[in-house]
Amino acid sequence: MQSWRGKSLWLALSASWLLVLLRVFPLLRLAVPARPWASAPQGWPRWLDTELLPSFSQPGELPEDAPQPPQAPRGGGCDWGACFDASKCRTGGLKVFVHPVAGPISAAHRKILASIESSHYHTASPEEACLLLFLSLEVPAGECSPVPQQWNGGRNHLVLDLHPAPCPQTFQRGRAMVAKASPTVDTFRPGFDVALPLLPEAHPLRGGAPGQLRQHSPHPGVPLLALAEERGGWRTAGTDPSACPWDGRCEQNRGPEQTHPGGTLPNATFCLIPGHRPDALHFLQALQAGCIPVLLSPRWELPFSEVIDWTKAAIVADERLPFQVLAALQEMPLTRVLALRQQTQFLWDAYFSSVEKVMHTTLEIIQDRIFGASAHASLLWNSPPGALLALPTFSTSPSDFPFYHLQRGSHPVGRFSALIWVGAPGQPPLKLIQAVAGSQNCAQVSDRFFPHRAISTDAILSLDGHSSVTTSEVDFAFLVWQSFPERMVGFLTWNHFWDEAQGGWGYTAERANEFSMVLTSAAFYHRYYHTLFTHSLPKALRTLADETPTCVDILMNFLVAAVTKLPPIKVPYGKQHFEATPPLVPGGPEPQPTARDCINQMAAGFGYMPLVSSRLRLDPVLFKDPVSVLRKKYRSLEKP
Amino acid sequence: MCASVKYNIRGPALIPRMKSKHRIYYITLFSIVLLGLIATGMFQFWPHSIESSSDWSVEKRSVRDVPVARLPADSPIPERGDLSCRMHTCFDVYRCGFNPKNKIKVYIYSLKKYVDDFGVPVSNTISREYNELLTAISDSDYYTDDISRACLFVPSIDVLNQNTLRIKETAQALAQLSRWDRGTNHLLFNMLPGGPPDYNTALDVPRDRALLAGGGFSTWTYRQGYDVSIPVYSPLSAEVDLPEKRPGPRRYFLLSSQMAIHPEYREDLEALQAGHGEAVLVLDKCTNLSEGVLSVRRRCHKHQVFDYPQVLQEATFCVVLRGARLGQAVLSDVLRAGCVPVVIADSYVLPFSEVLDWKRASVVVPEEKMSEAYSILQSIPQRQIEEMQRQARWFWEAYFQSIKAIALATLQIINDRIYPYAALSYEEWNDPPTVKRGSVSNPLFLPLIPPQSQGFTAIVLTYDRVESLFRVITEVSKVPSLSKLLVVWNNQNKNPPEDSLWPKIRVPLKVVRTAENKLSNRFFPYDEIETEAVLAIDDDIIMLTSDELQFGYEVWREFPDRLVGYPGRLHLWDHEMNKWKYESEWTNEVSMVLTGAAFYHKYFNYLYTYKMPGDIKNWVDAHMNCEDIAMNFLVANVTGKAVIKVTPRKKFKCPECTAIDGLSLDQTHMVERSECINKFASVFGTMPLKVVEHRADPVLYKDDFPEKLKSFPNIGSL
Repeated sequence: MQSWRGKSLWLALSASWLLVLLRVFPLLRLAVPARPWASAPQGWPRWLDTELLPSFSQPGELPEDAPQPPQAPRGGGCDWGACFDASKCRTGGLKVFVHPVAGPISAAHRKILASIESSHYHTASPEEACLLLFLSLEVPAGECSPVPQQWNGGRNHLVLDLHPAPCPQTFQRGRAMVAKASPTVDTFRPGFDVALPLLPEAHPLRGGAPGQLRQHSPHPGVPLLALAEERGGWRTAGTDPSACPWDGRCEQNRGPEQTHPGGTLPNATFCLIPGHRPDALHFLQALQAGCIPVLLSPRWELPFSEVIDWTKAAIVADERLPFQVLAALQEMPLTRVLALRQQTQFLWDAYFSSVEKVMHTTLEIIQDRIFGASAHASLLWNSPPGALLALPTFSTSPSDFPFYHLQRGSHPVGRFSALIWVGAPGQPPLKLIQAVAGSQNCAQVSDRFFPHRAISTDAILSLDGHSSVTTSEVDFAFLVWQSFPERMVGFLTWNHFWDEAQGGWGYTAERANEFSMVLTSAAFYHRYYHTLFTHSLPKALRTLADETPTCVDILMNFLVAAVTKLPPIKVPYGKQHFEATPPLVPGGPEPQPTARDCINQMAAGFGYMPLVSSRLRLDPVLFKDPVSVLRKKYRSLEKP
Repeated sequence: MCASVKYNIRGPALIPRMKSKHRIYYITLFSIVLLGLIATGMFQFWPHSIESSSDWSVEKRSVRDVPVARLPADSPIPERGDLSCRMHTCFDVYRCGFNPKNKIKVYIYSLKKYVDDFGVPVSNTISREYNELLTAISDSDYYTDDISRACLFVPSIDVLNQNTLRIKETAQALAQLSRWDRGTNHLLFNMLPGGPPDYNTALDVPRDRALLAGGGFSTWTYRQGYDVSIPVYSPLSAEVDLPEKRPGPRRYFLLSSQMAIHPEYREDLEALQAGHGEAVLVLDKCTNLSEGVLSVRRRCHKHQVFDYPQVLQEATFCVVLRGARLGQAVLSDVLRAGCVPVVIADSYVLPFSEVLDWKRASVVVPEEKMSEAYSILQSIPQRQIEEMQRQARWFWEAYFQSIKAIALATLQIINDRIYPYAALSYEEWNDPPTVKRGSVSNPLFLPLIPPQSQGFTAIVLTYDRVESLFRVITEVSKVPSLSKLLVVWNNQNKNPPEDSLWPKIRVPLKVVRTAENKLSNRFFPYDEIETEAVLAIDDDIIMLTSDELQFGYEVWREFPDRLVGYPGRLHLWDHEMNKWKYESEWTNEVSMVLTGAAFYHKYFNYLYTYKMPGDIKNWVDAHMNCEDIAMNFLVANVTGKAVIKVTPRKKFKCPECTAIDGLSLDQTHMVERSECINKFASVFGTMPLKVVEHRADPVLYKDDFPEKLKSFPNIGSL
């Protein structure tokens, strides 16, 4: 009986244990692998006495740092604050004097001199200058150019050195800044020296070849990779990651590829450029071709790296990781590829395509250092139209320029100023003033010549005494301008053409299916273009414009087209004014020979023809549509 | 526990041999013990394994209990830092290997207490800040506990403050780390380098090839692209609560709050104050404070006492002058107060200068020009000052405010160097969130007019209206710039007509069959599309003339980043219903074009298919409607630009007119389209569509000019 009771008790107990064990075992199995018993605890431990730990600096320790007398820079090095005396530049801005060069100079040097001498930085007197430029000449290897007079220990000097072959000992550069083509990373002093691109011998003085990119996205047939060859050409490389394209060791299984002779530009999406210095020349080629440079551990400083954000246009990768780099290139999102491609073209056009641009960029960088807080913002350097065309003297706020509204999420100020150019004193153009002032958007009407400071609005409506516009024409044109604040919006147009017979450019005021210029006798444009017109154009061109009034129109259109790379915009214009105002077009439909010269001189001054033709006109949405006039907002535009 | 289980299983064999009295006693005892064990086991495992694993995976220990490591006096010392080190020479990228997430792996050595032969500790074991820093790394995505997979190693030897450590012994401690290997891929954090009397600007501990994240680098010691310049953390960041103050003019124009300033500089500052009166305030330490008041939190000018750091919020510009060291903790306080730092420390490498654009948040004045500081600052326009104040505060919030922020920014910089193709952009580093939200970066920003010769690809979406389709094909094929025609056959139940039946046209014609009848098939980035320009056209749009299509293509070339289309539509705000409304009447404005006939860049196909926000794509496919509105939203949102409507209005056989008999159907259609707009606006979080009042016509459209001389005479005919 007792044993039965014992047995049953035992049975019940063991059954309950079994049940409990069965439930616990799976739990144990779940828990055990997650917690490594043997190994150390994961992560940085949470100390029990965290609160008791001492601070790295005892209170009062920092302020009690023993004061130290000012130190001179050690190691004989220089930086901007220590070695450049900017006080001379305060008064007259950056004025550059070029040390006269003794002996024969090469064509490349002549171009450099010409580009500086024609710029507004140039001065002929060394006393007035705050920067003295010294051209390091091509000399037999191992020797160095002699130091010029007035060297002054190199203070406020910029030594221009276009040859990658370095002068053996860093010659007595002393306190001089060195602007050098592709300097090695080790000798480059950031914030003091300037890294120049390695220019080919035949680089043009002005204008320069435009970027080669014809479309935003890579063409489907274009190979992914091109590899810079030592001999100067490009080789299209297979995309097979097992055939590491820049490593000689796996040369045998390169896959299908083509070799291109030197001089031709690569046609690929990415251009692999080895990091050795002679390859720096490839860098500009890739940039011009719109082929995204992939630099493999470059030993040289990228050109103008002080201001240009190269991460937006190139990829600096580690040559030791071929598989990773190739995989990353192949998997790069389309959006990034598009952005990189476009940036190469913008940078090429803005800073590298001509000797003039390279030199002006160099000087602009130095000027930015002098300006300090009122220098170009990074946005101005790294987005179109580029820092050479966006003057920081106009404003330090990007929203004041016509170019950055998208990036800044801003809008142009919502009204305009009418600016009426009255040549000779006489009857003020009352009717015109009435018509313009009738617009609700008109903030002020002014008839003074060049009233820069008086203009408070972003938009300027430029008119002359003979123009005749109606209020609704002005209203509609202004509305259109607000959508395109960087372009000129006008009523009357001219078109330019290549005249085979004369062997030069010509233009016509005849009505045609295309146009490339709008007349400033009735046009909206951003007030920034006044500043640009006055301060950035070469003196020769402005003199030309002053002498021939027609040239002003052409010059303004050249300028805006060079900045925007886009055509102006035409808006509808009532027919009756067109015929009622013959003096609008001086010389009638066929411009006079002097005016004709003017377009060719402008093209020569710019180095290329910036004008772009357009085949469209922007009309009100319901313009001349078969609906009731009452529905139309700009019905008076349609009156015959 | 396992042992006791086994014992119990073997139990029955043992128990019968005992006396029954004992037996019951033992059984009860065993079961109590077992139940107790099971209960503790369950308590330990059950809830914790489900809720949080971090708690028990981290050992709770005291810093005092860490193992002691003895450093023999003759143990090796690393070489001094190598000034020529660069990432591609001194850093071993192979350790970082291929990582699909493009994130480096960081290992932290376990904490030890280092003592010399005599048992004297080498340094404080660890400071609060360094512990915080290592905790931050350990909690981040970068951390790994597997030393063999790590790419970067962080020693737990605290070198934040050089004053607290013995240099030679610390170096020896570094050298005996298990993966030291000349310091390759090791990262040291130091905020207070140098020591009296000459205060070097980089940590004096010999460290060979190790990377240094240092506060107070000068250009002479900083290895560009290798070291990382970091801020000197201000303990006040955590101790004091300082709410953000709106930018704007403040009581003092220029303020100096530092206490330990070289007398020569103090003279210069006092001269500034004398010259500009009230606008300049130069503070010093308080000498007459009563006991118990924390002197670091007070500053004095003559007899006036100011609270620090609150007083910084009263100034527009604040001087950050070099002390014995270049890096000063006051920079952090100044930024936090939204005061623009005026950095007067020649050759100082500002924190994170590799990625941060300090021109936007600070003014650097050469030491020599200190006396001119006031006039230099005065020339900065008020608008720019406010921008800088905002930027200063943002820099503090993002990169200065905690040890964690400093540590993560440092690792991000190193990560960006190793995976440059995945690096953060200038804008991501520098733009404050408000700017980031408002700004649009157009993916097709380059002003570029594609050559006419490239032509366009027409994509016709069709289901089964073969007759109408053939008419469209014939019409479109007359357009000179057409380079290819793609028919998207959206009917899975019916085969497309045989090859011989298709109209014979001069350009290649390709039929793509789809797997599912979805509207988004129209916007798929087909490999067959070789041109950049795409003309999307419905299979019933037969009323467009060849001139109109050709002109549309010309307009697209001038506006390649926009939707260029024929029928225009408008969205309106319905004040009564308080929501958006779709409008197809004859209006003076347009904000959308229908994609039943529109030119656009093929990149937008890619965006539509792969980057459409939210569930819009599925929504469109489910409702079989509004794919065109979705496209309009997408393009306007990404480019920030309005559409271009071309040529006059026509009686279009538009989507909303097809297959609609009565007015009621028309109305449901409009309601549905309005719903789409409201739905998309809520997904995008904003209304990206832009309203304009213009359309594009040929230059001489309706001008009094001989028709035969016009380029596009046949426009607007009904």
